[in-house]
Order: sequence, then structure tokens, then C-alpha cells
Amino acid sequence: MNLIITYLEIIILLPVIAGVILFFLPEKYRKIKSLAALAVSLMVLYYTVKLYFSGGAPGQINLIETGFLNWLGTSYLSGSSGNFFMLNLDNLARFILLLVAFFSVLILLYSYVYMDRKNALRNYYSLILLTLWASVCTVLSDSLFMFIFFWGFLGLTLYKLIKGHDEESSAAAKKTFIMIGASDGIMILGIGILWKITGHFNISELTVRTSDAIRFCAFLALLIGSFTKAGAFPFHTWVPDFAKNAPAPSSAYLPASLDKLLGIYFLTRICNDIFILSGWIRLVILILGGLTIIIAVMMALIQHNYKKLLGYHAVSQVGYMVTGIGLGSVLGLVGGLFHMVNHALYKSGLFLASGCIESKTGTDKLEKLGGLSRQMPITFICSLIFALSISGVPPLNGFASKWIIYQGIIDFGKGTGMANHLWIVWLSMAVIGSALTLASFIKFISGIFLGRSRTGLKKVKEVSWMMWTPMLILALICTGFGIFASKWIIPALFEPVTGSVTFIGVWDSSFISLLIAVSIILGISFYLIFSMGRFRTDESFIGGETNRRDVGFEPTSFYETIRNFGILKPLYGWAERKYFDIYDVSKIITLKISHLFSAAHNGILSNLAFWVLAGLIFMFIFLLI
Amino acid sequence: MDQAIPVFVIIPLAASFLISIVGGRIGGFGKTISVLVFLSTLIIILTYLISGDHASMVYKIGGWEPVGNIPIGIYLLLDPFSGFMLIIINGMAFLSTVYSVNYITKYTGEKYFYTLFCIMVAGLNGVVLSGDLFNLYVFLEITVIASYALVAFGTEKEELEASFKYQVLGGMATALILFSVGMIYWYTKTLNIADITKILASSNDRMLIQFSELILIAGFGLKAAIMPFHGWLPDAHSSAPSPISAMLSGVVIKAAGLYVIFRLFFNMFAITWEISVLITAIGTLSMVVGVFLAIGQWDLKRLLAYHSISQMGYVIIGVGMGMMIIANGGNIALASLAITGGLFHLINHAVFKGLLFLNAGAIEYRLGTRDLNQMGGLFEKMPLTSGTSLAASMAISGIPPFNGFFSKLVIIIAAIQAKFYLLAALAVIVSIITLASFMKFQRYAFFNGTSQNYAKDGVREVPFFMSFSMLVMALLCLALSLLMIPAIRESFLQPAVDALLGNNEYFINLLNL
Repeated sequence: MNLIITYLEIIILLPVIAGVILFFLPEKYRKIKSLAALAVSLMVLYYTVKLYFSGGAPGQINLIETGFLNWLGTSYLSGSSGNFFMLNLDNLARFILLLVAFFSVLILLYSYVYMDRKNALRNYYSLILLTLWASVCTVLSDSLFMFIFFWGFLGLTLYKLIKGHDEESSAAAKKTFIMIGASDGIMILGIGILWKITGHFNISELTVRTSDAIRFCAFLALLIGSFTKAGAFPFHTWVPDFAKNAPAPSSAYLPASLDKLLGIYFLTRICNDIFILSGWIRLVILILGGLTIIIAVMMALIQHNYKKLLGYHAVSQVGYMVTGIGLGSVLGLVGGLFHMVNHALYKSGLFLASGCIESKTGTDKLEKLGGLSRQMPITFICSLIFALSISGVPPLNGFASKWIIYQGIIDFGKGTGMANHLWIVWLSMAVIGSALTLASFIKFISGIFLGRSRTGLKKVKEVSWMMWTPMLILALICTGFGIFASKWIIPALFEPVTGSVTFIGVWDSSFISLLIAVSIILGISFYLIFSMGRFRTDESFIGGETNRRDVGFEPTSFYETIRNFGILKPLYGWAERKYFDIYDVSKIITLKISHLFSAAHNGILSNLAFWVLAGLIFMFIFLLI
Repeated sequence: MDQAIPVFVIIPLAASFLISIVGGRIGGFGKTISVLVFLSTLIIILTYLISGDHASMVYKIGGWEPVGNIPIGIYLLLDPFSGFMLIIINGMAFLSTVYSVNYITKYTGEKYFYTLFCIMVAGLNGVVLSGDLFNLYVFLEITVIASYALVAFGTEKEELEASFKYQVLGGMATALILFSVGMIYWYTKTLNIADITKILASSNDRMLIQFSELILIAGFGLKAAIMPFHGWLPDAHSSAPSPISAMLSGVVIKAAGLYVIFRLFFNMFAITWEISVLITAIGTLSMVVGVFLAIGQWDLKRLLAYHSISQMGYVIIGVGMGMMIIANGGNIALASLAITGGLFHLINHAVFKGLLFLNAGAIEYRLGTRDLNQMGGLFEKMPLTSGTSLAASMAISGIPPFNGFFSKLVIIIAAIQAKFYLLAALAVIVSIITLASFMKFQRYAFFNGTSQNYAKDGVREVPFFMSFSMLVMALLCLALSLLMIPAIRESFLQPAVDALLGNNEYFINLLNL
């Protein structure tokens, strides 16, 4: 136990101390800051690994009793209820801690080169370490008040990780923080209500049935918090804007990995630990999950900006996790958590790849890119693996987790209840979403890497090794997780968290991978044996016109068909006018009310004096009644 | 220590006379003296609070002892609640004068500025110390007359108009307050607050008491600028020189308005359900309407001014809920929690709103404009202003780890615990809109476009003394979070709450029974 305390002390105190010190170092020591941050994150990773394998029963640790907060000699906190400073160290928390530290290391490795330029984000390394610290504390806190403190602080670091250099990016930063901050405020309401009705505010002590309206409101408030953080419909709209405008490592770090980990972590907590859900709430969660998948992927299809496209996919994939966790079975939970991990892997990989492309080409428009596969082979191979993985192509990890979720949905259909009877709807939404994901990633891959090379991009080179190493690591993990999913990954990583899993039907990911590998090898050997490589290349025949070099067939233009397709056309039009964006709608309403009040404030003195008298008279009337 | 009580009034008052006489002859006299004066008063009150002795102290002016238990002189009383207010007043006054050292060079007539400033603070210190109703009114007038002049200090069209409105509405407030004081004097035949308490407790003329209560709410409501008595505030606070705006928003509306309301309704009148509901209702109205008015503004200081109305709403609902719980005979611990939230927010608001006005002043100092549309990209040029204003914006929007988060949290939690769910929800919604409007400020002032426009104009960070004040206040925004720690709360915030709740203690101290 004492060893665990030591580990915790290091994990919690090291990043914050280092973060604050780095904050005060001048920007010109950027290299040193970067290496220091990397060293700190590596140490945190090392201790989270030790913590994960340290064993010991899951349990609560009180910070006051353990002497954690007593380093001044006496505890100034002893007067308060000890529950405020309770840590929760169960397997789920340990697992998420491990992931948080792992992604921090990768991102910091990548940032060493990426962030090393003029007018890069100020205090970047300090912010990353503070984010790491806040995430670690969020995951560890058992007391909901401590939780909301760190959770809210994460919103601030998220805001600071976008550089508001022009009008669009500062608008995106503003929108992001308003939405995150709003959800935090709503969560405080939920926590307050929980405390009021149960008398507890510690996750480990709470078990609430969502039976009446007030409990339902508490649940909804907390759900909004987790949905906004993770980026699920209808609170997702900050994610694409953030992804488009923030530096790539920021997007890879927060919306792609850490916010997902934390949002889904909290969703798991509220669905499994805090509340006992009724069938109707499951129905609501599943509807929102399904809608998240479909709506976001439909929006992703029509994007021309690859960072925004990735941003919409970061939303769409959340739908799978929400669906998985909303099912409430062990299978669904494993699927949801596994998908969360997988998503963090490939989506941060994709954002890192987008950062490589942007730093080398200087554009984020798909139309201006093409044919980079020869010049940036490692980026290409990694992106291809990520893209196939996110689209759910076997044997990669995206397939494995989606497959478990599909199984979970089918299994869910055996139950009785409104949500259970509709299992086919959830299944088809998930499958269609997966197909559309593939469709939009064809656009991503072919638009950037395939096709004819653009004239302006001849000099583009592969990025430096410090930038491609993190991507390669992620790609290898994606493949490894996919191949060994059923054999090692699920039993080793997820069963300690969720309990043992029984799959329905036979599924052995390694065997499937073997089959796929065999078929690919067979294909290649046929190709070599029958000498299919000897074909003739020629100019395309376009009716006798000379084929100009600068004319290309942009993959993006194929997707215009979808945009103009019957019923979708007005829907896309409304979406682009932000009619479905909860942020813009509430903004309009707020400003309408504001104008209404402002119109009364014309600053004429007699009016002001009149209000005073009116107020006085009103008070008299109030008292007389 | 009890002999030191009048010092809070005498030193600033003496300084103001000295400055007006000598200030013109010796360069730099005004600023040096006023900074030193507020530093010394701040140190005196801090030693009182840090000493841990929370007993109240009475100073009888002229040494007039009570005759047959009837107080016949003017009494000054220092109890933890007054001490709490004195820290805010003198601390803010100190930081504002330090800031003014550079800032006021924009204006002519430096010596008048410091003279008026010292008079204003002398009046404020008097208001929170006075144990005599009419004396309180006199100190209040000293404060507001100085502030009328300070609002008009720029002597441009806009400033004069604002000051005129402030004077007219302030005159109405004066009339109402004097009328009510007269009513109470006529009824009780005394002006000593404790004596009044004793007589009111044994009277049964509810109608008359309620009438004077309402008039007092309207009068001090005007001073505190709560809806619907807020008309003067947006003009006055936005036109005044920035350190004065910081004082007006951070201190004057609290010490001259809210302090008196809380003090009188807790310690002089008996708390009744109707009055509690009324106070909470106007607090809610201020909170909600103020924020909607603020978010539409493009004039930076006007935006901040409307937020003062809205944030005062938080303080009032915190304390008002406490009153409602007490009036209902509910749980005193819960009432204490709600009042703690209110007072905690009061001191937090003094710091962060003061800082925001100083930030606005810094921007105006360099750019010469308050229009958000004409700013942008200052993040690169004025990093300290940008950083400190972010801290203040986060504090007012209730984002951890800044102080506003904790006070709003306490208020919301107290509202839920007392089953005022609607109030809790409104507090959250207003907090969200506050966040939105400060994101607007951050975006348009510091980001949003390039700083190319100012490349030639020499826009750079403000001078040392301005930076110093802003930095100290930004650190305070973080440091005040420590008030949540039980050991610190017990010795600093809780005594103030207890002083409000334990109305007998005030009464006994003042009467010296």
C-alpha cells in the first residue's frame, strides 16, 4: 500500500510542479522545455505502468489520512470532511491513467519538432503537462467535487491550446470554451442534486436509481458533461471547429485522445457506478449514440478541409462508444472501452499525420493536395493503416472493437424492453456509419496521397524521425491490437476492468488475421507468378483534347453528388447555416433577449428615475399582498 | 486596538486635506502619500484579522459613555464583518492608487484626483465602521459626493453626462435614505443601531417598520445598483477613470450599498420572510437581466459595468437565501453556508472586477479606445495585460482553479441544499452567459486578427506600477481560492458570517452592556 502511495505522489505532483516551472521559463529555451516535458511524461508513464501492475485490491485512498496533504506539518484540511479528498483506485482508473500517460509521451515526442518554430503556441509544454496533471487527477478523484474542479480546469487548458491568431481560430477557441464551460456548469447542478438527494458525493458511495424527475435531471446533467467532453451529439459542435484551427498535436492530444478517454470514462462511471439506468434512459442514450454516428459521418463526407474531416470523425466514432456503453452489458462495455482506446490510437495518429502534411505542404485543403505517397511514404503507410482501422477493416483494431459492439447489440436484442426490441436499428446505424466512414476516408487517402502529384508539391519531403516515430508506434499498436484482440488484448487489458467476457459465436482475431494475411500473400504470388505487372500506361483519352498536366480529378468533387442528393441537400444547407448547432442557436436566442433588454436602456434620465419609483411601488404592492 | 478604530477615517481624511494644500507645491506628493496611507490602513486591518482576535471593538467618539444604558454619543464599531469589508476597501484602494501613479498622468489636476480619492475611501471606511444610523448616512454622502466628482474627472461631454445622471439618481437615493432614517428616528427616538434594535424588537407596528425597510432597500439598492435601481451604473462606471471604475465596481457599490443592507437587515431589523423573498427576488432579477445586458455590449467598460450588476445578484441571492432559511426557521448551518457563499463572492468580485477594470484601463491607456471592435491581437503586444485579464475572466466566469469557481460553487450547492432549484439553475445559466461574454472580451481584445495595426503606434506593455497592480490582483484571484481551505476560512470568512448571524453580539457590543 505504501508503495502505491509513493507512485501516486509522483504521478500527481510531478506534472504540476514541472508544469508550473516550465510556465515561468522563457520561450527561447523551447528545446529544453520540450525535453524536460518529455522526461516528466516518461516518468509518469513509468509509474502508471508500475501502478497498473502493482496489484492490490481496488479501493479508496483518503489523501488526508495518508499524509499526502500533510507536508506542511499539520493538515489545514483536517477540519473538513475527509470525503472531499478521496481517491478512487480501481482497475478502470488505473487503466485510463496508463493511457493518459502513454498519449502524453507520444504527443510530446512529436511536438519536439512540430512546435519548434516561430510564433508557435506560447507555454505549450507547460499546458500539456498541466493537462496531463488535471487528467490524472480527474481520473483518480472519487469525490465529485474534486472531480469537477479538475474537469473544469481541463477546459481552460483546452482553450489555451488553440492559438487564436485570426478571426476564425479565435472564434473556434471561444466556441470550444463556452461549450465546455457550459457543460461544466450544468454538471455542478447534477452533482449538487446528487449530494442533496443521497447525502453522498463520492462515486464509490453512490448508487442512484433514475426513478423520479429530479434524479433523472441529475443524470441528464452529468450526461451532458460527459457528452460535451467526449463530443457526442448534440454537444459535439466544438470538435470540428477545434480540430480545424488548433495545431495538430493539440487536436491529437485533447479532442482525439484525452477528452475521449475522460468523457467516456465518466460516461462509464455514471452509467455503471453512479446510476442504475432504466430502460427509457438506455433508449435515449442509444438514440443519441446512433445519431452521433450517422450525423457526424454525413458531415464528414462533404468536408474539403482534412482537419475538419478528421474532427467530424472524432465525433462520429464517439457514437460507437456511447452505444456500446449504453447497452449496459459486459460485452457492450468492453466494446465501448476497447473502441475508446482504439479511437484514441488511430485518431491521434491521423491528427499527427495531418500535422505532418500541413507542416510540409502548408495547406489544409484536400483540393490542393495529391500524390504525396511517394514523397512521404511513412506518413502514407501509417495514415493508410489508421484510415483502414477507423473504417473497421479487418484485421485492424477498429474492426475488432466494432465487431464486439455489433455482438453486444445483437446480444442486447434478446432482452425485453423498448430499446431492446429496436436492436436492429442500432445495429444498422452502426454498420452504415462504418461504411460511410470508409467512404470518407477513401477521400482522405486518395485526396492527399494518391492521384497525380501537384506541381506545387514537388519539393515535399518526409518528416523527421521524431515526428514519424509516434505515428509508427501508433500504427503498430493499431495492427497489434487488431490481430491479438481476442487472444491477449481483451483478457489482459479489459477483463480486469469489466469482468469476464463471453463472445457470442466464434471469433478469433488472430485466426482471421492469418486468413487475411494468407489471402494477401496468395494475391501477391499470383501477381508475381503470372507476370501481371507487365501492363502498358498511356495518357487518358479525353476526346482528342490535349491532356493538360494541371487538370486533375479531385476526389472531393465526387462527393458533391451526396451533397446534392434529394433530401440531403436542404439538410446540408441548414447544417451549414448552423441551424443544428446548439451553440449558434443558443447564441441567437441570447442575443435576441439581450437586444430586447438593451432597447429599454436608452439612458434617458427620466426613464431611469421612473424605474426607481416603479421598483419602489412594486415592492409596496408586493408587501401589501 | 480599539483606540485605533478612528484611524481608518482620520488618516485618509487628513491625507486628503494635506494633498489639497501641499500637493500642488511638491511634485509627487499626492501619489506617495495616498499609496502610503492605504498601505498603512491595510496593514492595520490585516494585523487585526491575523491576530485571530475576533472580538468586536467599540470606540466612543468623545468618550461619551452611555447614560442609564442609553447611548448618547456616536459609536464606531469594528467587528469581523466590518473588518472583512475594511480589507476589501483598503486593499483595493491601495492597488488602485498604485495603478493610478502611471495611469492618472493622462489627466491634468493630479492633486484633485488623490484628494477626492482619499475622501472617498475615508467615507467608505466610515460607513462600514459606523454604529450610528445618521452617522452612517453622513459618511455615505462623503463617499458619493467624492465619487460624483471622480466620475466626472475627465470633464468631457460623456463623463459629465454620466456624472449628472449619477448625481440625480444618487440624490434620489439620499432623499430616500434620509427619509427612512428620519422615520426610524421619529419612531424610536434614537439613532444608535443597537438601541434601535432593542426598541424595534419590542414594538409591534409592523406596517411602519416595513415601510421604512422598503424605503431603505430602495435607497441603498440605488447605491448598490441592483435592478431596477441600477440606471446610473453603466454610465458612471464606464466613464470614470479606470482606477475609479475599479473602486466603484469593486468597492463602493458593496460597501455603500450591500454592506449596509446586510448589516441593517441582519443586525437591526428582525429578518422576516417577505423582506427575504423581496431581497432574493431583486437579487435574482439583477443577476439575470444584468448578464443579458452585458453580453450585447461592445464598449468594454460598459460590458464590465453590467456584469457588476449581475455579479452583485450572486452576492445578494447567496445572502438572501440565508435570510430566507433563517426566516423559515430552517437549518442555521445551511444559512451560514449560503451567506458564506455570498460574502465569499463579494470579496472575489472586488478582486476580479477591479482587475478587469484595470485591464480595460491598460488597454485604453495604450489604444485610447474602449470599443472592442477596434482592438485585436493585443495578446502579442501586451502579454501581461492579456494574462491577467484571462485570470480575471476565468475567475468571474467560475472556471477552476480561480476564486470565482469556489464562491459560485458554494452558492449553487447551498441553493440546491435549500431546495431552491430554480435559483441554482439560474445561477448556472447566468454563469454560462458570463463565460460567453468574457470569451467575447478575450477574443476581440487579445486575439482575433493580427496586431499589425498597432505596429507603428508603439503599443506595448503598460508601465511598471500599472503592471504591478494587475499582477498582484491576478495572483489574488488565485490565492483567494485558498479561502475554501477550512483552517483559513474559519479565521477569515467565517467570523464575518457569524457576525451577521449572531445579531445579539453586535447589539451587546454596541451598547456595551
